[in-house]
Amino acid sequence: MLSFQSSKNVLSLAEDLLFRIYELLAAESDRKSFRLVCREFRRIDSLTRRHLRVIRIEFLPILLRKYPRLQSLDLSACPRIDDGVVSLLLTRVGRGSNSPSLGHWAWGLKSLVLSRATGLRFSGLEMLTRACPCLESVDVSYCCGFGDREAAALSSAVGLRELNMDKCLQLTDVGLAKIAVGCSKLEKLSLKWCMEITDLGIDLLCKKCVDLKYLDVSYLKVTNESLHSIASLLKLEVLGLMACPLIDDVGLQFIERGCPSLKVIDVSRCEGVSSSGLIYVVRGHRNLLELNAGYCLSELSTALLHQMKNLNHLEVIRIDGARISETSFQVISANCKSLVEIGLSKCVGVTNMGIMRLVSACINLRVLNLTCCHSITDTAISAIAYSCRSLVCLKVESCNMITEKGLCQLGSFCLLLEEIDLTDCCGVNDKGLEYLSRCSELSCLKLGLCTNISNKGLSYIGSNCLKIHELDLYRCTGIGDDGLEALSNGCKKLRKLNLSYCNAVSDRGLAYIGRLEELSDLEMRALHKITGVGLEAVAVGCKKLADLDMKHCEKVGDSGFWALAYYSKNLRQINLSYCGISDMALCMVMGNLSRLQEAKLVHLSNSTVEGVELALRACCARIKKVKLFAPLRFMLSSEILEILHARGCIIRWD
Amino acid sequence: MDLKERVCGELQKEVPKGASFTKFNTQHQQKWEDPSSTSDYSTRIEPPFQAFNQTSQTQSLLLCNNQIKVPMQDGSVNDLLQASKIQDWDPSAMLNNLSFLGQKIHQLQDLVYLIIGRKGQVLGRPDELLVQQQQLVTADLTSIIVQLISTAGSLLPSVKQTLSAATTSLGQCGEFGGVVFPSSAQGLNDGVQPQNAGGSKVSELPNSVDITSNNGNEQSNHIIEEHELKDEEDAEEGENLLPGTYEILQLEKEEILAPHTHFCTICGKGFKRDANLRMHMRGHGDEYKTPGALAKPTKESSSEPTIIKRYSCPYAGCKRNKDHKKFQPLKTILCVKNHYKRTHCDKSYICSRCNTKKFSVIADLKTHEKHCGKDKWLCSCGTTFSRKDKLFGHITLFQGHTPAIPSDEIKAAPAGTSDGATNKVGSVNFNLSYVSSESEVQSSSMDIKGGIDDAVGYFSPLSFDTCNFGGFHEFPRPPFDDSESSFAFLLSRSCNYSQKSGEE
Repeated sequence: MLSFQSSKNVLSLAEDLLFRIYELLAAESDRKSFRLVCREFRRIDSLTRRHLRVIRIEFLPILLRKYPRLQSLDLSACPRIDDGVVSLLLTRVGRGSNSPSLGHWAWGLKSLVLSRATGLRFSGLEMLTRACPCLESVDVSYCCGFGDREAAALSSAVGLRELNMDKCLQLTDVGLAKIAVGCSKLEKLSLKWCMEITDLGIDLLCKKCVDLKYLDVSYLKVTNESLHSIASLLKLEVLGLMACPLIDDVGLQFIERGCPSLKVIDVSRCEGVSSSGLIYVVRGHRNLLELNAGYCLSELSTALLHQMKNLNHLEVIRIDGARISETSFQVISANCKSLVEIGLSKCVGVTNMGIMRLVSACINLRVLNLTCCHSITDTAISAIAYSCRSLVCLKVESCNMITEKGLCQLGSFCLLLEEIDLTDCCGVNDKGLEYLSRCSELSCLKLGLCTNISNKGLSYIGSNCLKIHELDLYRCTGIGDDGLEALSNGCKKLRKLNLSYCNAVSDRGLAYIGRLEELSDLEMRALHKITGVGLEAVAVGCKKLADLDMKHCEKVGDSGFWALAYYSKNLRQINLSYCGISDMALCMVMGNLSRLQEAKLVHLSNSTVEGVELALRACCARIKKVKLFAPLRFMLSSEILEILHARGCIIRWD
Repeated sequence: MDLKERVCGELQKEVPKGASFTKFNTQHQQKWEDPSSTSDYSTRIEPPFQAFNQTSQTQSLLLCNNQIKVPMQDGSVNDLLQASKIQDWDPSAMLNNLSFLGQKIHQLQDLVYLIIGRKGQVLGRPDELLVQQQQLVTADLTSIIVQLISTAGSLLPSVKQTLSAATTSLGQCGEFGGVVFPSSAQGLNDGVQPQNAGGSKVSELPNSVDITSNNGNEQSNHIIEEHELKDEEDAEEGENLLPGTYEILQLEKEEILAPHTHFCTICGKGFKRDANLRMHMRGHGDEYKTPGALAKPTKESSSEPTIIKRYSCPYAGCKRNKDHKKFQPLKTILCVKNHYKRTHCDKSYICSRCNTKKFSVIADLKTHEKHCGKDKWLCSCGTTFSRKDKLFGHITLFQGHTPAIPSDEIKAAPAGTSDGATNKVGSVNFNLSYVSSESEVQSSSMDIKGGIDDAVGYFSPLSFDTCNFGGFHEFPRPPFDDSESSFAFLLSRSCNYSQKSGEE
């Protein structure tokens, strides 16, 4: 009580001030520290918290009780949620509870992410939508079983504004019609890969949901008829038509005359679209901000270029795979001065001169994709570095002629650089990495197949680029344990690491990896030197490890797998193919890791059929995807296969 | 000649019998529909009954359509005809034919006795078996009558040269059955013309002819007529003939409702079309078989300039009535007939399958019956559609209407997954969901929410951690929707009926 009376103590702050302080904490880790201070702070946290992403479904009831004012609930990380869980949550945690603070968790909920919740069916969704009257945003993407009945259940959420139904494979026009009629306030809708949707459904949608601002019909087999309907949407700003094989220039003609608010259009990989179709779009929409036409143009024609002169507000253009001339760059840079991102991946005709002309005027470029533009050299990189000081992302995969000189320019001028892809650039060496390490904001670095880099180069990165969270060292054979030591000392925020085929890495190196507490994604294929000791170090140290690929790590023994089964409780995906794991260890790994969803178990040299069968039985309740050796199909009991099938597990036979 | 007279006399004697028989047939058919309209009976044993209903109906339809075909299938007659084709006329063959005729007439008599006997029984108690037997008897009878006529025709010595030609043409008629007629229906527009031209003649004909003297031949006409009639009526909508440029004819109600417009001057049999009458006339003698007698009379009349004739509906106040302000004339007599029946008559034909749809034109009923039950596209308001685009058009039009999801989706699921896992994983749940969907069907309002409420009520206590329900639903759905939709698509392409069920 003394501490409360002391005027200088932070705890004496009034509640509203604490609320304000809490609001200013942006990072999740900071908020975690805040709520760990004392009970009062935790109470502030629990009363203020709006967003919750649940990792383990077991804690969901407690968490929902703890945070009564949630507005956004993300359940995408616990795909085990099903109708039974929902009904329990609503009856026990909600209305059935006697304490007032426990109830009504669903009442204020505005956003619900149910991505990959394959177990949730119409009855569960029906209960949820009924319990959440304020629901505005729902994400049911990748719920493969989501069909018309589920759509009907969801359509009772009349206030819905945003809905993501990507890859809801069972959804047909009928379900879409349910949504369109029920949720007429929809502003954002994504229907990627909903393969059953046809023109009829889109037509009805466009007539019923006139407020749509964002519509993504990528990968659908819709025709120009749909574009005719879509053209009537007056408020549409973003239109995704990626890889729609049946639409062509005639359909884009409708877009020319319609969609007056259109800002962003994506027609990439549309086989039927040519430059004349894009001319229609560009002619009708002078205020276009983003044009994505990757892999649908054979060349950037002069007629299209002529029309593009009018796109003075254009910020993003992607013309991947097209043939482009040096004069085209001149025209683009002269007219599209506000360009922020340009994608020229696999474009033919991208030269140093072209790039120099482009960046001479487009000084605001932040994202530049030059993947597979083989003819560019340090000259182009220098020009980019000198002109585009605010460059954030540069992708120069397979540009073999880039050397340390180019990286030196980047390290000198582009200090905001966050992401650089140097995969397969064999000109990159330790000296180059030293220059590059001056970009201290770097968070994503891809150095795959750069065989000329060694531990020394990596140590520059480890000592300077402290914000790095993704590092790709695929087949960097010059990298050894010492490099990893330097890395683990500096890059504490590393989340994703690829060490595949770095043959020199041994158990000592993995011990350093074990110091990276944030690491969630580790790929270490074919590390022949590592044994169970190394794996144990990783399992013990990397508590957040969710995805582990250790294919062809043949020397790892059971001790390592036991450790894995014991410590890596957050593991979601594992690849154990070609590993010498025994039956017992396999059962332990598969049975003990309660978050495991996907496992690849091909060519396990020390395992028997019975072992695999037992392991599958141990995890059949939660596993969603498993890859097995093809002959096992006839050796495993039909019972376990049926059970897996019934639980919605996808089995891939290899 | 006395022979011919005798044959004619016999024929005339026979025909009324045939007529009375068909009269019975229609009566019996109507009676047949009755039990299905009583709801309690149909709901109790609906599936078998419906199935039976379907088959027997199509059977009877087939029989009616192919009446001419029947003697051709009969071996003896075939032989007979062939023999007469090959040989010249000789008394022994004549005697053969005569004795054959005698036999057949005796059979006929026996059969009629049989029918009279059965009829009493049937009236007492409508048994399904009896009904079926009766239909068989009916079919036999029909075939015998036709055989009689054809054999009688072959008896005449003067026929022998043209006989082979006649039999082949008859054979064609018979063999193609319904097929021949549609192809001839192509020229129906032409065929209608003479009727129009002879509008006054039609009205002069006596209307006192027995209305019930329906015949299978005429029924097949029905089916052919329906399509182009509808088309004609539709096509005629856009026509803009200036008033005064055409002649307006108005038939009286009785004339419109009379089943036939063309009557045989010898036997009095009625026909809907002149072409059919001409075909019929061939049986009455040689003089009707000349190309001149068989040719269409249109060609003669087409040489002189014809005044355009349009028709007015006798119903006062109707838009099709000539006194109406915005009078829209009807193009042909057939249009008049169908318009009058559809608009101003009782809808007395009830669909035996759904027991809800009523029609005044039997062809409309037949069209509907072809699709009845196939209307899988369902709106939340209860309206059904045979085509998806029609349903979506309806939903676009009406605020708040949504497509209803077919409730048999769940029922179909276990059929698709025939492995044992169904039993293992969710047998209990399956039963429950089955029940709920059943109740939905019975309520027929197709309120899905109600069904779900039931399901939730059942599942909520036991589904947690056992996950049976989820497990069951993880099964891949059978491609029910796909096949159905593609089927519907095919249907919509193959027959261009405008399904009116929803829009009416």
